[in-house]
Amino acid sequence: MAQTYSGPGVFKRIRDDYFSTRLNTVVTLGFAAFVIWVVWSLFGWGIQQAIWSPADKDHCGHGSGGACWAVIAARWRLIFFGLFPFEEQWRSGIACAAIVLTGGLSCVPWFWSARRLSALWIIGFAVFYCLMRGGFFGLTLVSEQNWGGLSLTIFIFASVTLIGMPLAIVFALLRQSRLPWIARTMGVVIDTIRSLPLLSILFTFAIVIPFVLPGWMIGDKLYRVIVGYALFFACYQAEIIRGGIQSLPAGQDEAAMALGMSYWNRISYIILPQAFRNALPATINQLVITFKETSLVVIIGFFEILASGNAAYGNAEWNFAHVEVYCFVGLIYFTFVFALSRYGAYLERRMAVVER
Amino acid sequence: MTNSQSAVRISDMDKYYGTFHALKGINLDIAKGEKIVICGPSGSGKSTLIRCINRLEEHQVGSINVLGTELDDNLDNIDEIRRETGMVFQHFNLFPHMTVLENCILAPMLVRKQERHLAERDAMELLTKVKIPEQAEKYPGQLSGGQQQRVAIARALCMKPAIMLFDEPTSALDPEMISEVLDVMVGLAHEGMTMICVTHEMGFARQVADRVIFMDGGEVIEQAPPDQFFDNPQHERTQAFLGQILGH
Amino acid sequence: MLALLKQKSYRDRTLQTLFVGGLAVMLVIFVMTARTNLEAQGMTSGFDFLERATGWGVSFSLIDFSTSDSYLKVIWVGLLNSLFLGVISMSFATIIGIAIGIMRVSGNKMAELIGTIYVEVFRNLPLLLQAFFWYAILTTLPKPRDAYDIGGIAFLSGRGVYLPGLNVSGLSVFLSAIGLVIAFAVWLNLTTSRRFAKMMPKEKTARARSIWLAWGFAACVVMAMGRIPDTPLLNLPYLKGLNFREGIRVSPELLTCIVAISIYGGAYIGEIVRAGFNAVSNGQKEAGFALGLTPWQIFTRIRLPLAIRAVMPMLINQYVWLFKATTIGIAVGFVDFFMVISTSINQSGQTLELIAILMGGFLCINYTMAFALNRVNDAIKLKGTQARG
Repeated sequence: MAQTYSGPGVFKRIRDDYFSTRLNTVVTLGFAAFVIWVVWSLFGWGIQQAIWSPADKDHCGHGSGGACWAVIAARWRLIFFGLFPFEEQWRSGIACAAIVLTGGLSCVPWFWSARRLSALWIIGFAVFYCLMRGGFFGLTLVSEQNWGGLSLTIFIFASVTLIGMPLAIVFALLRQSRLPWIARTMGVVIDTIRSLPLLSILFTFAIVIPFVLPGWMIGDKLYRVIVGYALFFACYQAEIIRGGIQSLPAGQDEAAMALGMSYWNRISYIILPQAFRNALPATINQLVITFKETSLVVIIGFFEILASGNAAYGNAEWNFAHVEVYCFVGLIYFTFVFALSRYGAYLERRMAVVER
Repeated sequence: MTNSQSAVRISDMDKYYGTFHALKGINLDIAKGEKIVICGPSGSGKSTLIRCINRLEEHQVGSINVLGTELDDNLDNIDEIRRETGMVFQHFNLFPHMTVLENCILAPMLVRKQERHLAERDAMELLTKVKIPEQAEKYPGQLSGGQQQRVAIARALCMKPAIMLFDEPTSALDPEMISEVLDVMVGLAHEGMTMICVTHEMGFARQVADRVIFMDGGEVIEQAPPDQFFDNPQHERTQAFLGQILGH
Repeated sequence: MLALLKQKSYRDRTLQTLFVGGLAVMLVIFVMTARTNLEAQGMTSGFDFLERATGWGVSFSLIDFSTSDSYLKVIWVGLLNSLFLGVISMSFATIIGIAIGIMRVSGNKMAELIGTIYVEVFRNLPLLLQAFFWYAILTTLPKPRDAYDIGGIAFLSGRGVYLPGLNVSGLSVFLSAIGLVIAFAVWLNLTTSRRFAKMMPKEKTARARSIWLAWGFAACVVMAMGRIPDTPLLNLPYLKGLNFREGIRVSPELLTCIVAISIYGGAYIGEIVRAGFNAVSNGQKEAGFALGLTPWQIFTRIRLPLAIRAVMPMLINQYVWLFKATTIGIAVGFVDFFMVISTSINQSGQTLELIAILMGGFLCINYTMAFALNRVNDAIKLKGTQARG
C-alpha cells in the first residue's frame, strides 16, 4: 500500500519555526510582544484617534494623541502637483499616469527588445512632456519652473534614465574597448565620477557649468541638473553593464568573430542582449536607487515631491503636522520603490529557474 | 597570388603571449580538400595554431595565407578570411538567447546579406544534414551536448565556408555523444571539405585524415599520413604521446 | 586615406588619439571659457583666498574655530566633521546591520519577520526623506525644562541630546582613538600574516591579549594626563535655568545625520550580511555537525567567519557609499565638508577652486578608505584559488 507523505502538520511546523528550543520560545515571545506593542500604538495613533476631516482640524495637535490626516485632505494637491496651475492639474495627473503605465508595460516580456522598449519609452515620455508643458490645442503653456511635486520627481527620474541608459552603454563599451588608451581614460572618468557623492555632481552642474560652458550651451538649470544626474547614473550603470559583459564566456564573442560578424553586429546581436539579461537584477536595483535619490534635488532648490511635502506643513496653519506629511510622502515613495524592487526580485528568481 | 592549390599556407610563423613563445617557426601547407588532424599534449599550441588561422589570435612573425588572401593588418582581409572559414569550438559557443534556427541564420543575414527566407531554407537543409531539423525552434540550453555541437557545425556551414576549423569538438562531450558528432564530421569529410581538426579522436584521424600533425612545445614535431603516423612514428616524443593515449 | 583606415594598427592609433585628444580639447575649452567668464566678472582665480579670514562661524566643530580663522581652516573643520559623522554612523550601521542580518537567518520566523520589515521599510525610503523625518521629530522634542530624563545622566530635548562626558582634553581622546586603530592593525597582522603562521595558537592568543592590554593601559595613561584639573572625572549634564550645563551636547542636526545614516545603512548592511550567510553552503554546517560541534560553535567558528569573508568586497563598497551619504548633512544644517564648501562658495565666490577642493577631498577619502579596507580584505580572504565557500 502506497502512502504519501504530506509534510509536517501545522502544529509541528509552528513549533519548529517559533518554539523549537527554549531560547527560541523566549525570542519569539519577546519579539511578538514588541510587534503587538508597535502595531497597537500605530493603530491608536494612525486610525483610532486620528482626525480625518479638515473641518475638525482645530482638534489636531492639541492632546488628541492621534494623527492629523486632515492635513493630507487639505494639501494633497500641493504634494502631488506642486505649483502647477490649479485648474490645469488634471494634465499633471494624466501625465504621471502615462509614465506609470509606460513603466508597467515595460515589465511585459513582449516589450523586451531594444527597439520596442525605446519606442515605448519615447512615446510615453513625449506624452508626459506634451501634457505637462502644453502650449498647443488650447492647452495653456506651463513652463518647467512651475512643475512640481510627484510630476517633477517622475520627470527627473524618467529623463535621467532615458538619457543615462544609452550613455551607460557607450561608457561600458568604451571601458571594455580593446584599445588600451580609450579603456584606461574611460576607466579614470568612470571611477572619478563614481567616487563623488551625487549631491556634489548635481551641485557642480547647477552652479559650475555656467562658468565653463559658452553661453548658448548652458541651458535651463533643471536640464543641467538632469544631465549631471544622467552622467552619474551612466557611470554606475556602465559598471553594471560591464559586469554583465564580463560574465559572458569569451567564446560568445569568438564564435561571432569566427562567423565573420562585424564589431557593431557582435555588440548589438550577441553581447548586449546577453549582458543586459545578466545585469537585469542589478539594473533594477540601480533604478530603485536612482528613483530614491531624485529627492536630493531638493537641496539644489527644486520643488519635487519632498519639497512640496515640506511646503505642505510649512505654514502656520499646519506646522505641527510634519510626521503625517512625511508618512504620506514616504508612502508614495514606498509604493514606487517597493513595486520596482519586488519586480526585480521576481525577475531574479525567474532567471535562476531558467538557468537550471 | 600564391599557389592556387593551397587552402592555407603558413610560413615561418611565430606567436608570443607577452614574452611566452607559444608557437615557434610553424611551416604548414594545406591543400584544398585536404583533411588535417592536429594532435599533441595540452599546452602544445595546437589550439593556438588553428585560432591564428582566422585571427582569433594574432601572430607576430611570419605569414599566414588563406585561400590566396594574406592575413595581415588589413581589416578587409581579416573579414574576407573569416567569411571563408568556419569554426567549431570545444564548448559549442552557441548563442543561448537565440533559437537553433536563429543561431544558424544570423551570420548569413548580417554578413552575407542573405534574405531571411533563403537563409532559413539553407539552415533547415543543413540542420537536416546534421540530423536535428526537429530542434530548430528550441533554445540551445534545451539540447544535449552532442546536439548542441551538431548545431554549431550546422551554424558554421550556413556561411558556406571553404575551410572548416575544428577546435577539440568532442572534448567537452559525454562519451556516448561523441560518435554522433564524429559521424557528422566524417560525412563532411566525404563531401570534400577542407578540414583542420584539433582532436584526440585517433579513430577519426585514421579514418578520414590525409595527414596527422603532432605538436609539442609550440613546434610541429612530426607530420605524416595516418598509417605511417600511428604504426611507425619517427620521433620519440610522438612515440611517448601515442603510447600514453593509445596504451591505456 | 581610406586605405590607411583599413589598416588595423593605423585605425587603432587614430581612434585612440581622437578620443583622448577630444577629451583634452573639451577640458581646455572649459578652462578657457571659465577664465574669460571670470575675467568678465572681475574675479581673481587661484587659491590665495584660502588664507583669508572667513568672517562667518560654524555651529559644530571638533577643533577650536572662530570667525577670524581662514578658509583653509574652515574646510579642515568640515572635513573632520564629515569623518567624525562617517565613523560614528558607519559603526552604528554595522552593529544594526549585523543584528538585522543575524535575525534574518536565525531560523526563528518571528525574528525573520521583524528583520524583513525593517529592511523593506528603511531601504525603500529615500535617505533624505528619513533625515527630514528624524529632524522634524528631534527638533520638536520638548524644551529642556521638560526633557526626557534617561536615568538622570542623559537627557533628550528639542535643543539636542545631552550625554555624560569625561573631563579630559580632546587631544587625549584623539590619541586613544589612533591607538585603537594601531592596535587593531597589529592584531590583524598577528592573526592573518604568514609570518606568524607557525606560532602556537596559545601563544598567539596570549600575544593578542597583550596587544589589547597595552592599548588599554596606554589609553588610561593618556586620558589621565589629559585630565582637566580640579574637575570630577565624569561630567554629568544638569538643568540650570532654561538649559542644560556641562555634559556633551549632541545637536539635533548631528543626531539626525547619525540616526538617519545608521538606520538606512543598517538596512543595506543587514541585507549584505544575510547574503553572506546564505553564501556559506549547507555542507559547511553539516560538516560542523558531523564533527560534533555545538550550534553556537558552528555559528561563531564556521558560519560567521566564512560569511564575513564572502561579503567583504560588498561591504567595502557599502562603506564607501555610506561615507558619501554624509553629504545629506547640508539638508538639515549639519556643518559637514559639503556644507562648508557650499557656504564658502556663497561667501567667497571662488566656485571653481572650491569645487576642485570638494572633488579632491572626496576622491582622497574614498580611495584611502577603499585601499585600507581592501588591505583588510586581502588579509582575511581565503587563500588559494581552489577555495570555495
